[in-house]
Amino acid sequence: MADTHEAIEELLAGYVLRSLSGEDAARADHLLTDHVPHCPACRDSLAMFQGVTADLALEATPLRPPDTLLPRLHRDLGAQDRRRRPAAVLAVAASVVAVVGFAGLAVTQSMRVSDARSRIDNIRSAFDFARRPGASMVQVDSSTSDTEPITEISRPGTERFYLVGSDVPLPPEGTVYRVWLVSGTRATWATDFVPEPGMMIVTLEFDPSRYDRIVISVEPEGSTPDAPRLAVWQTAS
Amino acid sequence: MSGAALPRNRPRRVIQLTAMMNGDVDDLELHRRLSAGDRDAFDQLYRRYAPTAFGMAYRLTGQQMLAQDVVHDAFMALWRAPEAFDPARGAFRTFFLSLVHHRAVDTVRREERLRKRSERAANLEPLTDEDPAEDVVDEAFLGIRRRELRQALATLPDPQRQVLEMAYFQAYTQAQIAEELDIPIGTVKTRTLAAMRKLRRALYRED
Repeated sequence: MADTHEAIEELLAGYVLRSLSGEDAARADHLLTDHVPHCPACRDSLAMFQGVTADLALEATPLRPPDTLLPRLHRDLGAQDRRRRPAAVLAVAASVVAVVGFAGLAVTQSMRVSDARSRIDNIRSAFDFARRPGASMVQVDSSTSDTEPITEISRPGTERFYLVGSDVPLPPEGTVYRVWLVSGTRATWATDFVPEPGMMIVTLEFDPSRYDRIVISVEPEGSTPDAPRLAVWQTAS
Repeated sequence: MSGAALPRNRPRRVIQLTAMMNGDVDDLELHRRLSAGDRDAFDQLYRRYAPTAFGMAYRLTGQQMLAQDVVHDAFMALWRAPEAFDPARGAFRTFFLSLVHHRAVDTVRREERLRKRSERAANLEPLTDEDPAEDVVDEAFLGIRRRELRQALATLPDPQRQVLEMAYFQAYTQAQIAEELDIPIGTVKTRTLAAMRKLRRALYRED
């Protein structure tokens, strides 16, 4: 039976509160993919409910964060500054090939030396990470036969892991790849990225062992990271 | 089609935009600068939203360290992928506070042992000897919005406010709320929708 708008609004209200589970969560995902994008009334309802839900945060008493938090962020921003692109997507100089032992890397003419250096640093970090005791590599399988798998490099209990790929195809125009960490029916958005030619390394500050699986989906660029739509790669559960 | 179809051609988008406050406009500029790598803009957004984000995350998780991690991760996610916010889809505070809430909910659910702490969230002990709220001066527009929200919440019948509180601040699913309150899940859905609609009318001045 088709959902009425009343029923759809019920689902959307629960969805924005992140309080759906089971079949309701699946129905909401379905609606958000198939109906809401094409229905102005539902799009506006969703936007309104999202606004209301965000405002609910104001019901909590504002608290002064610990004095250590901003310095911690500044320190971590410093580490990120050298790779301003969202997901540290890498393509590095051919000279680096010998250093890291990978082929198929390139430097675009527009790439600044500082960008190339930061990418080299990132690759070194990934390989140093992979050599440490307990590190493991897990294949993130592609859902299509013509796309190569991506490799996840992680260590249990470490709030960092890497996604490594080679010649990852660009997502369709106007879209990005979005990384999700999934537990049960809940998906936590990690980051967005658009790969560049050659080797790609995405660094994520999460411990993947806390989640059941990793999903990489294709999403409209700039869209709100609510839930994965079209999965392109994912690890086995 | 049965059920209440939404009226067509209702100027909701216009209503939403007119509800945008000066602070929201300032946010857009700060976000634009942050997207260009401006650390000062990052700091300004931090000063503006960290107290609200931390207060909300603390109320959900019940633990200072976890709340700190939630807020840290949200700001880092903003720095890493500022393009995830699309101004065409709503205010920055909607995007960012939703991001913080999602991460806080995920944290609570991931660590079920926190459930009891979050149940006590309404009666949390102050973090220090002083009332931490005394240290926080809201940005003016957030203070206005906070008052509007609290006035709107006060108009809700208790059963509706209760399901919102359990869903938003205790990270309960609707199924868990139904079980906890021993009521049908359909009732939870009805109360949730009624509450959200009332808040929507109150906060967005819908007629």
